[in-house]
Amino acid sequence: MGEVWKNPLTPWRGDAEPAEAASDPWRDPGEVWRAKRASSVPMHKVGRLRYFWKAQGHGERTWNRLRYWPTRRRVLDIRGEYNPKILRREKTILDRRPIYWALSFLAILLAPLIVPGDLQSTLISAGTVFLIYAAINLCWTLIIGTAGIFSLATMAVVGAAAYGAAAMSVFYGWPWWTLPFVGAGIGLVFGVVIALPATRLDGFYYALLTLGLNELCRVYVVQSRTFGSATGGLYGADSFIPAGLSPFGELATGYYAAFALMLVALALFRFVHGKRLGRILRMAPEKREAFAQAVGINYRAARIQVFILSSAALGLIGGFYASYFRGASPSLFSFDAVLLGLAMLVIGGIGRSEGAVAGTFIVILIDKVFLSLGPIRLIVIGLIMLGVVLFLKNGLFGIKQQFRAWRNKKKSENRSSRAEKGGEMLPEEATETEDKDLIYARRFDKMQRDYLKTIVSERLIEEHQRNPLGQHSEPLERLLMYFRRQPQVDKYAITVIEPFKAYRIVALSGHRGVAPRLVEEKTYPTEAEAYHAVFLRRVQDLLEY
Amino acid sequence: MDIGFVIVSAVTLACVYGTLAIGLSITWSSLGLVNMAYGVTFAAAGYGAWLVAEQLQAIDALADMTLVVGPVVILAGILTGAVCGLIVCAIAFIPIHDKPNFTVRGLIASLALSLIGTQFLLQVFGPRAKNLPPLFGDWELPLGNVVVTADKGGAMVTSVVMLALALRWMRSSRRGLEIRAMMMNPHAASLVGIGVRRTGFYVMALTGGLAGLASVLLSQTYFISPFSGLTPLIKGLSVALLGGLGSVGGAIAAAILLGINEALTSALLGGQYVLITQFLLIILVLLVRPRGIAGILDKAREA
Repeated sequence: MGEVWKNPLTPWRGDAEPAEAASDPWRDPGEVWRAKRASSVPMHKVGRLRYFWKAQGHGERTWNRLRYWPTRRRVLDIRGEYNPKILRREKTILDRRPIYWALSFLAILLAPLIVPGDLQSTLISAGTVFLIYAAINLCWTLIIGTAGIFSLATMAVVGAAAYGAAAMSVFYGWPWWTLPFVGAGIGLVFGVVIALPATRLDGFYYALLTLGLNELCRVYVVQSRTFGSATGGLYGADSFIPAGLSPFGELATGYYAAFALMLVALALFRFVHGKRLGRILRMAPEKREAFAQAVGINYRAARIQVFILSSAALGLIGGFYASYFRGASPSLFSFDAVLLGLAMLVIGGIGRSEGAVAGTFIVILIDKVFLSLGPIRLIVIGLIMLGVVLFLKNGLFGIKQQFRAWRNKKKSENRSSRAEKGGEMLPEEATETEDKDLIYARRFDKMQRDYLKTIVSERLIEEHQRNPLGQHSEPLERLLMYFRRQPQVDKYAITVIEPFKAYRIVALSGHRGVAPRLVEEKTYPTEAEAYHAVFLRRVQDLLEY
Repeated sequence: MDIGFVIVSAVTLACVYGTLAIGLSITWSSLGLVNMAYGVTFAAAGYGAWLVAEQLQAIDALADMTLVVGPVVILAGILTGAVCGLIVCAIAFIPIHDKPNFTVRGLIASLALSLIGTQFLLQVFGPRAKNLPPLFGDWELPLGNVVVTADKGGAMVTSVVMLALALRWMRSSRRGLEIRAMMMNPHAASLVGIGVRRTGFYVMALTGGLAGLASVLLSQTYFISPFSGLTPLIKGLSVALLGGLGSVGGAIAAAILLGINEALTSALLGGQYVLITQFLLIILVLLVRPRGIAGILDKAREA
């Protein structure tokens, strides 16, 4: 305000120009830059890219990979690539799940050897139960997840097979190795019978019906005298654990047999879910059946096939159950067993093998190891289940996917709030542009315009009117320098109609051979007036832009 | 076995299970929630009624007055049931009703609530069964060669009267209109300004109250225990399934049908075959009409 500009040319030019003029105080051009850099949008670390651990690569061996029979699959899905930044080859493990599976198999194998002596019987038998239930849940997740049939009669199939096998062994003296096959046969028949309504009924009707079937089995078994209503179960079946072993030997035999059972169930899961049937069914998820049908997929047949296969496998597990526990008890059919089984599936995530196994582990750990807690442990399981259902889309193993979806949502929200109008590029545009200098040039231009807008004032315009050419105060000179530096396209210029009498304002085309266009009809009598008119137009464009 | 006795108990059970089935049916059709926590609501309402009955028994002046004790205990059961229904609504419906895959998640959430609630009741009240004092006095009504005892007659009359009242309320009141609109088409109902969450609370309070009523009536014959809700839940679900989820008339028809089936099976084959014939009947009916007796065949409710 109070600044005075002194003309440095006064001693030479005499009184041709004013010696001094009132001027605005100097402003720091960095202010705008700093204000711009201090973003008003909160920036979180959410916007990271996916992280991959990189191993140093060996180029020749990238293609010589171990493939296992009978597929052409590799043990690990490794991508080899050349990193231009460090000028070296790198390897990226795209899917680390096989490593985790191998580590957990190793842990399961070694677990009985490191269990402390006083807890041996509790922990190893809990481990055996875990492995058996993991096998059951792998089959169940095939039914619910892959086939999309919301059946709650899984434990009914297992229980029926266990009872049938136990009855064969108790009443007819069949040896232990026949029991799983007896169970599989019963499971097959049972599966066919309960698959019949599944062809007609919708998801929920079927869930409720199968829940009822489970209850029906329980009531029948509890009331039936042949199945031991008096003794609380049918016991005395032949066991695969040979007599005369040490207590640890007995426990370990059961444990490793159950481990083998779980491996069989995993193989079944792999061959149903990952092969043709699974592909077909992934094509026909719930509510999109019509599309699948239109493409020529017989999803009903596929669903029933998966259902019957899983039922047979469940029957086999039931037979194993009978020969491990030397019989069967009505608790197999109890509502709580169904609930706990469902909790295992839901906690891990329906439709994934790792979800079924991990969920089973968590639930069995709480249910069988912390026995001293009483009813509280079931409440804890229920709370975990409730939390998972309320907050997670697909169990614990869906967290990663859910988090990524959330992060992408946040990313795009932040991006859209960052996008401002002006010379700067939008973020999408910026990533697409090859020449990154362009981004910075535009940003610099935007900052400069923002700064220049702040120094435009009445006094500056008056000064220019007084003296369009010649020495100017510092802010006016900045403004004029900016105007002069602009590109030729649509730049204002003065055309002479008649020298010293008539001038007009035109805009240059910027292209060779294309004449400038006339901007307005008005003619200016003097050159200085025309200069000032151009200046005013440029200022107006700057302020309006 | 006395055929008259069988018929009377079958009709009583049909009334009580019909009440439960109508509750389940209304919940499903208006909210799209298969309320598996209904069994726990049932058991908890029984305990609520039992607590109030215990308090009343302690007062000497009231100990013999059935006319006072009966309605108060029934009311306590209904209120407890309604409160449980509200809790279920707040936990299993409100947070997830607009999330993807709600039907499955709602089912699982209510199953989790059922697990938690049952174990909670077990922890608080212990495994020993409780029973309520007789609420309907001690009388007998001979109808020909059939004798209707007080508990059964009372249960029949009360359930029919209360159900009629509830249905009347649904037909004539503003809230009932909202609930019926939600049952017809939830999406359209929300478009015309009926609050989904608010109506959810009304529906769950109403159906919870029905469960409480059924609980008090049934505990005249059976005992109250933490696991006592399971059988009524299964029976109610069967009736609702057979009748067609979402249909009140269908539920009544199915309740009568299943009651007759139960009476006939017990009389002709024996008590242990009741469930088997019942499920055979349900499967047969569902194979012919996949949406139950009164269910609409096209997709009435797209959850």
